[in-house]
Amino acid sequence: MQNASATRNDVRPRRPLRAWFDVRRRHMGSWAFAINRLTGLGLAAYLFLHLAVLSTLLQGEAGWDRFLQLARSPFFLLLDVVLIFGILFHGLNGIRVALVGMGVGARQHRALFWVLMAIGFVLLAYSAWKVFTI
Amino acid sequence: MQNTITGQAARERQERSRAGGLWLIQAVSGLLLVALLGLHMVAHHFVVEGGLRDFQQVLDYVSNPVIFFLEVVFLVVVTAHAMLGLRAIVRDLNLSPAAARAADWILALVGAAALIYGVWLAAAIQQL
Repeated sequence: MQNASATRNDVRPRRPLRAWFDVRRRHMGSWAFAINRLTGLGLAAYLFLHLAVLSTLLQGEAGWDRFLQLARSPFFLLLDVVLIFGILFHGLNGIRVALVGMGVGARQHRALFWVLMAIGFVLLAYSAWKVFTI
Repeated sequence: MQNTITGQAARERQERSRAGGLWLIQAVSGLLLVALLGLHMVAHHFVVEGGLRDFQQVLDYVSNPVIFFLEVVFLVVVTAHAMLGLRAIVRDLNLSPAAARAADWILALVGAAALIYGVWLAAAIQQL
C-alpha cells in the first residue's frame, strides 16, 4: 500500500524552483504564483536591508545625510520604483489569494486578478511619477 | 500495521491543521500589511518633501508614542508575514522532515532576531 505522503510528494515537481521559471504552457495562475514568490523573496530581503539602512541613524546626522544623498540618486530612485512594483504586485495578488482561499470570489478569481492588476498599474504609474518629482 | 497507518494519518491531519492555521495567520497579516504598509509609505515618503525625512524629522516622527507603537506593530506583522512566506517556499523544496524542521527553527530564530533588533533600534532612535 502506498502511503499518503508519498502520493502527495509524487504530484509535486521534482525541481520546484526550476518549475517556477519554466514558462512553457503556463496559465495566468502559474505566472501570478511565480511572480508572487519572487516578489516575496525580494521583499523579505528588503526587510533586512531596510533595518540595516535605518541603523545608520545611530551614526547621527552625518551618517543619515550620506544615506539620503545616495538614496536620491537616479539609480536608487529607479530601484524605488522596482520596490513599489514588488509591493503592489505582492500586495494586490495577495489580496486575491487570501480572498479566494477564504472562499470569497473563487469563481471570479481571473477577473479579480485583472481588476487588481489594473489598480496596481495606476498606483505604480502614480508612485513612479511621485518618486521622480517629489 | 493498522496502528502505524492510524498514527501516520493522525500526524498528517495534525500537520494539515497546523498548515491551515499558519496560512490563515499569513493571510490576515497580509491584509493588515496592506493598511500598515500603505500608511508607512505615505507617511515616510509621499507626504515628505524630497521623499525621505531628514534626521530631525525622523526623530520628531518617532518621538510620537502612537507612531512608535504603530511602527512596532508594523515590524511584528511584516516579520511574521515574511517568515511564514519563506517557510512556505522552503516547504515547496521537498526537504526531508528533519531538514524542514531545522529550516522552521532557523526561520523562527531569524525572525525573532529581526524583531528584537528592530524594536531595540526603534527605541534607540527614539532616545537620540
